[in-house]
This record gives sequence, structure tokens and C-alpha cells, in this order.
Amino acid sequence: MTAVAGYAPAVETVAEIAAEHARQADETAAFPTEALAAMRRSGLLGLLVPEAEGGAGGTLPDLVDVTLALGRVDMSVAMVFAMHCQQVAAITAYGGEKLRAEVLPSVARGERYLGSVTTEAGKGGHLLTAESALEHDGEMLRVDRQAPIVTGGPYADAFLITTRAPGAGSAAQVDLVYADRDQVEVEVTGGWRPLGMRATHSVPMRLRGAVPQWQVIGEHGGFREIATTVFAPLAHVGWAAAWIGAAAGAYARVLRHARSEAGRRQFAPSSELVLLRLAGIRARLDAAHALLRHTVSVVTDAPDMSAAPVQMLLNTLKIRAAEESFAAAHELVELAGLRHGYLTDSPLALERTFRDLRSASLNYANDRLRLANGALSLRDPGVRLA
Amino acid sequence: MNTEFTELLRPFLKFAGPEEITEDARLRDLGLDSMREIELLFAIEETFGVAVPDDKLVDSTFATAGGLWGVVEELRTPVGGGSR
Ligand SMILES: Cc1cc2nc3c(=O)[nH]c(=O)nc-3n(C[C@H](O)[C@H](O)[C@H](O)COP(=O)(O)OP(=O)(O)OC[C@H]3O[C@@H](n4cnc5c(N)ncnc54)[C@H](O)[C@@H]3O)c2cc1C
Repeated sequence: MTAVAGYAPAVETVAEIAAEHARQADETAAFPTEALAAMRRSGLLGLLVPEAEGGAGGTLPDLVDVTLALGRVDMSVAMVFAMHCQQVAAITAYGGEKLRAEVLPSVARGERYLGSVTTEAGKGGHLLTAESALEHDGEMLRVDRQAPIVTGGPYADAFLITTRAPGAGSAAQVDLVYADRDQVEVEVTGGWRPLGMRATHSVPMRLRGAVPQWQVIGEHGGFREIATTVFAPLAHVGWAAAWIGAAAGAYARVLRHARSEAGRRQFAPSSELVLLRLAGIRARLDAAHALLRHTVSVVTDAPDMSAAPVQMLLNTLKIRAAEESFAAAHELVELAGLRHGYLTDSPLALERTFRDLRSASLNYANDRLRLANGALSLRDPGVRLA
Repeated sequence: MNTEFTELLRPFLKFAGPEEITEDARLRDLGLDSMREIELLFAIEETFGVAVPDDKLVDSTFATAGGLWGVVEELRTPVGGGSR
């Protein structure tokens, strides 16, 4: 039995609860605390924790399945889940024995939801640099980090934070540090009033405190390797699943409506315009989903994640999943028209999905990845397609 | 490493300053960024008359100055011959 087969009831419960609160969470830009509580209770937070550490021992395809399912009902909840899993994977792969023993079993018990702090004001989304320092203070390492956007920050039980390595000569020597909530003073420095993804409650924060050396994940300056092998792949795969899930969920709601008595009048199956639009949207979802599954299989078997063909494929997945999912949502709005496509009280919630998916190209800028792929393609003149 | 090589590297390492570039110098820590790696590669190929094969174009090749030099040396050495 795969981890996800065992987790099917948990996924169903969390999705039900998320669906129930999605509208309210969106309206108030409030964190989906009920859905998080359900993820804690059901053990879903421990999906990627190895079995030896009390978790489900889930794999990348499991992460995709669960995130797609959650994305269908609430893209914010799916993102919260996928980003937490990305943190878990980093600790599992690079955390020292003591850190793993301290953190992973409690994640599996649903006691720790992990927040992510990589973005910084001075550098935008540039993942592989850090502005703020990590400084020796006796046995401890002192952190003082401005974090402009932290998904579920006020609800996180711990954070994975990028900083400059102690004594770093340049912004390119980056550490990834684990900090428990009670090790840092958490100050929320602003509000969260976005267009979409409102339930992620991604407020700006300042985190100040000190952690022992063993809470550094990997070696000092080792974040680059973690980013290449775990952070970026899990981010691109997890986000793509959330986006494709959100678009697929909206499409399913439209189709169900189209087959209802009320919908049949609006969506005449004899209309070629309706049929062509439906086919176009389906094609976007199928293409993005196929790219997602293919990328997962390549990543699972890749001997060297830093190889240009693998890196380019991962970037293309992020770019294309963002574009196709948003285009699908846009076309669904067009197809459904004003009543169900534009009004916020439509039960089809297309406008919410549309607003949520508008974030996809910005959530790690597509342009940044296109530039990277341009440089990477010159490293692969043989065009070895992964 | 010969000085021609280290002087070729220097403009790509914005944090290296005037200090000597040693074999174990970590190129990325010294400021080599992935967007400029390809320019460095072109410069090396032109200067040393080598063609770095695609499968060598991975992060580990660009990790340290000595490691990158090793790759160049290997490519410069004719099969069966000694190093120059
Ligand atoms: C819903 C949501 C939740 C998020 N949650 C978190 C979180 O929990 N933790 C966290 O750390 N971050 C989080 N982020 C931030 C995210 O990971 C990215 O870092 C962020 O979206 C990048 O924002 P930016 O536009 O300021 O940055 P940039 O990437 O700097 O982009 C700014 C602009 O510059 C352009 N540009 C492209 N290439 C370059 C280049 N080489 N140099 C300069 N500019 C370039 C871009 O196209 C863009 O127009 C979240 C974002 C969203 C939308």
C-alpha cells in the first residue's frame, strides 16, 4: 500500500474541511486554521517524514497526489501543505541526527507546522543569496531576519530560514537554519491584503533569536546544494500540483454545473463554441499534468540534479504550470460568463480560483527562471532532453 | 594552476579582491553566479583551446578553482601523453 492509499481518508477529511471554510478564509484573508488542525490530527503533516521517524514515508508522487487533491478545493491550503512538506524534505535529507530526532517525529505527530523564510527585501526572490547575517554568540548562532512574506507565519511552530553563513565573505554563502517558535521573537510587521492566495495569510515578519549550531541544516554555506537537490525541485513540483489542482477543481465545478438542469440551458452541448472552449481548457490541464508527472519521474531517477537538462525541465515545469493553469482559469471565466465567472457569490468560485492563480507566475518570478533557462541551455549544446 | 588561469577567473569572482586564488577557493562563495558561468566557460575554452563536454557541465565542475583547473588539464592532455 502506498503512503497515499493509507492517507486517502485523511486527504478526504482535510479537503472537506478546507472546502467548507474556503470562502470565509478568502473573504477575511485569514489562515485556514480548521484545515491545518485537520492536517495535524490526521497525520497528513507527516506525509514526507520517513517511517523510521514515525511518518508515512511518502514519496514525491504522493506529495503530488495530495497537493492536487487539496488544490481542487482551496489553492491556499494546497500551498500551505506543499511548502510545509518542502521544509520537511530539507530536514530529512540534510538535517543532522539530533535535529532530525528533535523535529521529524513531532512533525509526524502533527505538532509542528513548518514555515519557510527565503525571500528577503533587498534581493527579491533571488533564492541563492542572503542579506541578513547569522552571527556567533558564544555557543549559539544569532539570527535577526526580516521576512517580507511568510505563508502562515503567525501559525508556524518553527521556521526554516536562509541567512548568510557566519563570517561569510559574500551574499552567496548561504545557510539554512531551523528555528523553533520559542527560540525566536516573532514580530508581525505588517498586514496581508493581496489579490488572491488570501488564505495563506502570508504576512511580513521579523524573526530575532538564537539557535545552537546543530540546527544549521547541512554544512555552513551549504544551502546552494540543498536548493538544487531538494528545495527547488520540491517547490516547483509542489506549486505546480497546487496550481493544476486548482484549475482542475474549477473545471470540474463548471462541468458539473454544465450537466445540471440550470446549466444545461447555458452550456448547450450543441454549441461548437462551448465544445471548443471545453476542449482547449482540458488540453491545458492534460499538458501541464503530463509535464508534472514526467518531471517527477525524471527527478526521482536523476543521478545529478545539477545537470542542465534536469534543471531546465524543473524550471519549465514551474513556468508552464503557472501559465497553463492561469490560462485555464481565465478561459473558464470567459466560458461561464458574468453570473458564474465574475460574481463572488457564485458557488463555482471561479473568480477566486482566477485571483489565486494570478499569483503563480509571480511566486518565484517566471522571468527569473526564463533567464536561468537561457543560460542553462548554453550549457547543453547537445540538447539532451530529459 | 597557472596564473593565466587564475587571472582569467578573477573578473568572475567579485568577492575575491586582490588576494591569491588558491586551489580550494570555492568559486560560488567568491561570487561566481550561475548566470555568468557560461561566460567563464567560453573564456576557458577560448584561452586553453579545449571543448568541455556537456556531461562535465554540472555544478561540481565549477565548485573550486582547483577542481575546474583539473578538468581543463585533463582536456588539454593528449591521450597517453603527460601534462604540459
Ligand atoms: C502566495 C505567496 C506565498 C509566498 N510565501 C512565501 C513564504 O512563505 N516564504 C518566502 O520566503 N517567500 C514566499 N513567497 C515569495 C516567493 O517565494 C517569491 O520570492 C516572490 O514571489 C518573489 O517576489 P518578487 O516579485 O519581489 O521578486 P523578484 O523575483 O525579485 O521579481 C521582481 C521582478 O523582477 C523581475 N526579474 C526577473 N529576473 C530578475 C533578475 N534576474 N533580477 C531581478 N529581477 C528580475 C521579475 O520578473 C519581477 O517582475 C510567497 C509568494 C506568494 C505569491
